[in-house]
Amino acid sequence: MIKPDDFDTFWGELLECAEKIPLNASLSLDTMRSTEQVEVFEVHYDSLNDVRVAGWYCLPRIRPRPLPGRVFYPGYISEPTLPKDYAEQGYACFGAAPRGKLRSNLQFNPGYPGLLTHNLVDRQSYAYQGFYVDAIRVIDFLTEQPEVDSERIGIQGSSQGGALTLVAAALRPQVKAASAGAPYLTGVVDAIDLTRTYPYEEINDYLRLHPQNREAMIKTWNYYDCINFADRIQCPIIVYIGLQDDVCPPETAYPLMDRIRSPEKKLYAYDGHGHDANHHVHDEVVDTFFDDHLKT
Amino acid sequence: MKPEDFDSYWQRLEQELIRVEQAPECTEIPLRSTPEGKLFGLHLTSLGGYRIFVYYCVPHGKGPFPVIYRLPNYGSVVHIPPFEERCNHIAVALCHRGQRLSDQPFAASYPGLLTQGIESPHTYIYREIAADCLRVMDFLLTREEVDQGRISLVGGDLAIWTAAMRSQAFALYYAPSLFYKSLHKASSSSHYPLEEFNDFLRAFPESKGQVETTLKYFEPINFASSVAMSTMMVEESEGDGDDLAMAFGREIDRCTTYHSSFRDGVRQAQWLADKLETGEPLLPEHWS
Repeated sequence: MIKPDDFDTFWGELLECAEKIPLNASLSLDTMRSTEQVEVFEVHYDSLNDVRVAGWYCLPRIRPRPLPGRVFYPGYISEPTLPKDYAEQGYACFGAAPRGKLRSNLQFNPGYPGLLTHNLVDRQSYAYQGFYVDAIRVIDFLTEQPEVDSERIGIQGSSQGGALTLVAAALRPQVKAASAGAPYLTGVVDAIDLTRTYPYEEINDYLRLHPQNREAMIKTWNYYDCINFADRIQCPIIVYIGLQDDVCPPETAYPLMDRIRSPEKKLYAYDGHGHDANHHVHDEVVDTFFDDHLKT
Repeated sequence: MKPEDFDSYWQRLEQELIRVEQAPECTEIPLRSTPEGKLFGLHLTSLGGYRIFVYYCVPHGKGPFPVIYRLPNYGSVVHIPPFEERCNHIAVALCHRGQRLSDQPFAASYPGLLTQGIESPHTYIYREIAADCLRVMDFLLTREEVDQGRISLVGGDLAIWTAAMRSQAFALYYAPSLFYKSLHKASSSSHYPLEEFNDFLRAFPESKGQVETTLKYFEPINFASSVAMSTMMVEESEGDGDDLAMAFGREIDRCTTYHSSFRDGVRQAQWLADKLETGEPLLPEHWS
């Protein structure tokens, strides 16, 4: 994985462009999904290319002081989550739905499969450009909310959610803590040779039909690979993987960890686990990690 | 408790479905075909004239081939069948109505689908979704490349419904999901998708009786005695599915999930290979 000389310039210019777009956030209370303890809002905000992006925002009804925020990024095929249970625990929670996900797919809908190879040969219009920007603007949304303590925002996700966590932690240094499971979009050029499992297999499918575009694909991915964002991550971060992961090969997590600059970083590598990355047990570690960093 | 008209409810569905021509349209998707086999986008007509999409993968070589038919999970996206299964099986993955690729004209909401039309068993969306599942089996039973004696079903409750109503399948690998003791499980959970039931009952408390009635038509316990094929049931925890296992009225294979996609995946591949007599299963490299 080569980090292009103009990597920082590329993302700097994009972020500058994105910052000129006001969020124009709208919140609509969803009474059916709300409970006695938690209010659920469907949120929409503007993002790159004037795409209107959705999300779920869950707040405890009782909030005597500014709340710590917690962002949940979705996996490649999973639906954006409504993190009501964490709102009950005193967090302002946001379930992100970047472009192409349900409710964010009116203007952009490359489909599944499809997202991973949409404009793959062009870094200027590659699908993940807007997708990444949508993800980091969730932090901007939370920062604007008066009920949120903007200095206590944690972000998390697994698989693609792990990748978005890494990118957001890199591009929004105000993030206080991050947890990435089975990170996807990491060491992509190696990963496609290490697995035949979807979603990475989408790239293999594409290259089988368009072998002449391999170099262009690599060139694009050098601007989007999480390993190339890693040296900008400064916040406390935990990463967890399954050593038998056939979806996101675990080999790719090690160079990622090497590049992360944060003084507080830890890798949990679980033998006997695949893409689940032992979340059934590890979720408790994640919860404790955020409680320690965001609630004290 | 099984509703008295449980059998006639499902027979009526069968009568409606049989009147709908399958009208199969099988088009190769070259982007997804591999040197090991071809992948087709299959369109079929299901209940109400609804056109559904199915991934239909056929390996190269001389058939007929055993089949692994994966019934969909809850969510808008259905994955293309795994590469390893496609190498030596006809690998099938249905996108039921509302899911992506079968979302014209009806795009399902998540959350929302689980309670759509739940006020009555006749309007509940899962009646039509069950028909979509059966329709794929009907298609498989017409195909020369399919080894008719070696069709396996893999999935959650949609798989047991299909197994109960299409006895031509040979093996069922089943993990009870959203319809097994739905309201009981929802009452002690705040996690989606089960939380959708709680949301609905909070919004429409007067509908509780109707919801309970509807769900009885979809409760896997009420289907189990009609499933005669080789069956493996994967439970959340030991003993979790005792009443369901009893409902089969015979011995079935049972196991508890490892909560590991690797170990659960290997076990599933080995069980299917054993039942379908396909030898050592091909596994992803990281599982070997």
